[in-house]
Amino acid sequence: MKLSPEIYKEFEEIVGPRYISQDPGVLETYRCMPAQSSAHYGPYWDHMTPTPMAVILPGCTEEVQGIVRLCNKYKIKFKAGGSFWGAMAYIGSDYSIQLDMRRMRKIEIDVKNQLAIIDPYVNGAMLQSEAMKYGFSCNIPGVGCSSSIVASASGWGGVGPSTVCSGGHKENLCALEWVLPNGELLRTGTAGSGDGWFCGEGPGPSTRAFLTASMGVCGEMGVVTKMAMRLYPWPGPAVLPSTGTVPAYKAALPDNFRCYTVCFPSWDMWAKALTMCYDSDLVYLGHRQFNMFGRDLKGAMIRILTDPDKQLCDLEELLSDPEVKRQTEEMKLEFQIVLAGYTKRDMELKEAILQEILKECDAWLSSMMLEPDIENWALLYLIRLGHKNLNYVMCGSYEGNFGLNPNLWVSASYMEEAAAFKKQWEDTHTSIVKNGGDSEMGSFSFTGGGGAVGWEFFVDFDAYDKDSVTGACDFIDETEKWMAERHLGGDMGRSNKYLRQPNGYDWPQEKHNELFSKVPQPHVFAYQWKVREAINPNLLGGSYYRTLDPEMIPENKR
Amino acid sequence: MEAKKTALAEIVGAGSVFDEPDILCEYSRDASFAKPMKPILVVKVKDVHEVQKIVKWANETGTPLVPVSSGPPHHRGDTVPSVPGAVIVDLSGMKKILGIDAKQRVVHVEPGVTYSELSEALEKEGLCIPTALAPRKNKSVLASCLDIEPRTNPRYQWFYPEPLRGMEVVWGDGVRLFTGSGGMGPMDLEKQWKEGNRQTGATGPQNVDFIRILTQSQGTTGIVTWAALRCHILPKIHKLYFAAAATPAGLEDFVYRILHFRFGDELMIMNSAYLASLMGEDASQITSLRGQLPPWVAMVGITGRKILPEKKVETQELDIADIAQQFGLKLVPAVPGVSGNQALKKISSPCGDRYWKETYKGAYQDIFFVTTLDRTSKFIDSMRALAEADGYPVSDMGVYIQPQHQGTSVMLEFNLPYDASNPAETAKMKEFFRSASAELSRQGAFYSRPHGIWAPLQLNKDARNYDVLKKMKKIFDPNGIMNPGKLSI
Repeated sequence: MKLSPEIYKEFEEIVGPRYISQDPGVLETYRCMPAQSSAHYGPYWDHMTPTPMAVILPGCTEEVQGIVRLCNKYKIKFKAGGSFWGAMAYIGSDYSIQLDMRRMRKIEIDVKNQLAIIDPYVNGAMLQSEAMKYGFSCNIPGVGCSSSIVASASGWGGVGPSTVCSGGHKENLCALEWVLPNGELLRTGTAGSGDGWFCGEGPGPSTRAFLTASMGVCGEMGVVTKMAMRLYPWPGPAVLPSTGTVPAYKAALPDNFRCYTVCFPSWDMWAKALTMCYDSDLVYLGHRQFNMFGRDLKGAMIRILTDPDKQLCDLEELLSDPEVKRQTEEMKLEFQIVLAGYTKRDMELKEAILQEILKECDAWLSSMMLEPDIENWALLYLIRLGHKNLNYVMCGSYEGNFGLNPNLWVSASYMEEAAAFKKQWEDTHTSIVKNGGDSEMGSFSFTGGGGAVGWEFFVDFDAYDKDSVTGACDFIDETEKWMAERHLGGDMGRSNKYLRQPNGYDWPQEKHNELFSKVPQPHVFAYQWKVREAINPNLLGGSYYRTLDPEMIPENKR
Repeated sequence: MEAKKTALAEIVGAGSVFDEPDILCEYSRDASFAKPMKPILVVKVKDVHEVQKIVKWANETGTPLVPVSSGPPHHRGDTVPSVPGAVIVDLSGMKKILGIDAKQRVVHVEPGVTYSELSEALEKEGLCIPTALAPRKNKSVLASCLDIEPRTNPRYQWFYPEPLRGMEVVWGDGVRLFTGSGGMGPMDLEKQWKEGNRQTGATGPQNVDFIRILTQSQGTTGIVTWAALRCHILPKIHKLYFAAAATPAGLEDFVYRILHFRFGDELMIMNSAYLASLMGEDASQITSLRGQLPPWVAMVGITGRKILPEKKVETQELDIADIAQQFGLKLVPAVPGVSGNQALKKISSPCGDRYWKETYKGAYQDIFFVTTLDRTSKFIDSMRALAEADGYPVSDMGVYIQPQHQGTSVMLEFNLPYDASNPAETAKMKEFFRSASAELSRQGAFYSRPHGIWAPLQLNKDARNYDVLKKMKKIFDPNGIMNPGKLSI
């Protein structure tokens, strides 16, 4: 489907001819494969998201507003994308246009009040690099530093390894500027009254309620054009001193930074240590990261990834090396932490607290991960979160599944059983990578200071091999049943199944009605319907925004 | 009226519906300048089912409802009906602490639970929650959290409505819902707890952030019947230190640096009048203390909790003292007239039978708003000038600066004691309160909690936000029965 020449011209008049395209070659690059990773509803073989009628690159808020008004005039659906990491950034219907926000990339730092005011294309790496010049860093979500901060704050979860210390994006968010789906411009909190960007709450109830809930609105409700985010302290150099050769980039940081891999004899002790970290404000970053390569492979994989002379073909040899075997076994149950001292005394205190935790939890530090080159690699990896290409290193794609339970103590009690379930599948199927069952990874907390958690198991598969894709899909179906039987909530790998169809298109409202009328609290989705009616009357978003027609609420729940 | 009384009696029992003139009179006014308005009835509710039935009944009969959770005296006008024919829904009898989960660091409270009741229960479990500054003895914890009264430990204010987590609400249209992570499970706390869900996720549960429709809403969107609150480990060692200066600007860099490093726990700035009011037992003691205290102090709390408490406290004492020295200040455990221990006790505990702000002259008005620390001196100078021009004694004016949200903003509060038994003084205060509020608004004060006259002042600055707020109100309270007239929506 194409825009009519007249409508195309109207869009062109807003952004200029250079920043709009309906060239088929360009449009094709704005499609996403549901066989690709982290879509959380597949993977599904042989489909792509729809082709947009045009791609437009707005350069400022006024242009965005002009585009959205025009979309309302012609009832054209639209979606804005920043970094296009996940399927949620892409359109889901034919009569739609795609906005690419890459021209809007300004950063302004309010040093005193620990704030960054950013445009939608600003990603974690851009903001962190700028903030470090002023003694700050920023929360970088698990998706990695190439992800747009505005996208993950307004459109998704926005949490990652630093969240326990930095707070998540939604906690850090202050005022914001938002072109509503009806084309009106809303500035929340102090920005609305022209008093600055420091507070996004109120006056009275906060209008950000319609944008930034736990999962955000996935780009279905207008376009955020500016955000103020709280920063957090960075007691390191103004520039990350990265050295090395791809993929073994590393950063030797001053003595007030350390990265440790803390190892445990049991999941109970692992969970206890996590809460001790919360209670003592110990960590600058906390993550179980490298286990994504799998319990049996992680030692060898870390050797490969930190040595520029090694390749994946060295894996077999390394796996048979007794010392690598010992080191891998040593860190069977582990997590990574980064300590950062704001003063010399502060660092000494943190080291002493860590020793107490080791003592209390019968824990130890991985000797391999203390080798300087590996520690410096892990430091850079975790602080910048720029090695996301390694998520794909096994065989081209992956999906995170299980997710378990946000209660640390509940999820820890199921970890070994989940690992055994996955291992059994690995042993009997060839569709997913065999890496020891336990490939669980995740951040210390979804909230600043500690609290709700979410652990995903990496399921590595080949997105270009039909058997591997369908086999991975089957496995995730099985884990979803396993989760349901244990009342552990939905499987993370299927968390988007109500949001996009296997063929890449939006679900129709009827499907949402069918699904959401059966949930325990259908009014959640009925209120979302009413909110959409109020600010998106022409329904210009897609099915990532979850709604239930209030008429479809079962009689016994009205 | 009788029909309404009968209908409500059928819901809550005849003994819980009140129409005695003296009781109605109690709810018709407060210590603010809100226009007095008698409700027609007061109902005392016991549980969420009664609340839901009342809200449904109110929708059917078009009866305005005004929810109240704290005991008197009220000070902000939000519990005084703005329209005739209102029914007060008094939740102060819902006093259950539904559960404490020490492992998940969360407590569930009903609206009638006060700070002192909650602190006592949490202490037994080795926990505590961040409090607002020296709250009233009968202040509802839930009401205080919903109004986002600033906590005194900004370092732990990860998100603005801290320590709120999931809640149960009856919206203005009569629908009952769990907010946050509880919103995806069965509407049964016990069942959710059994599956390990302790409602620790505050936002969502999906695309709409229900918590933010309730916070700062003054009861205009729904009635919250329990809330999960995040707790902390009870400190083993807890100390409070002072850094003194002649002006608030003299403390600014020090406080910014503490915020930057996230050292300490409690952190705030007060002038001598404010601190004297907080500490003094009577008017003469307050006057005497004002003379002894430094003009301005920053107060920093330091805690040692479970792990290496002594070492942690010692480390932070030395580090914070070093920071103070960098800015030409001295960190001390006491200032003339007040020790750190005395101040800490006052700050973190509910006050006695009489609210401490009423000690000096019997009554007071507060003007509070959100700004940034580097703008506070400008506002303080303006307020002094306004007071001088109006003839209000500047020496009586208390100033409290409470950093929030880990330092991205502060709440700046001006406390204005006066003698309410003197009609001329009251009239003068009323006018001063109005004109000063308006002038500060003009200068950029952001009334994030827009009580009383601040609502039109603030909301009229931003027509688009106001419009979306009205749409929000229409969704959750389509018949406009929840505290109508408040927030100008």
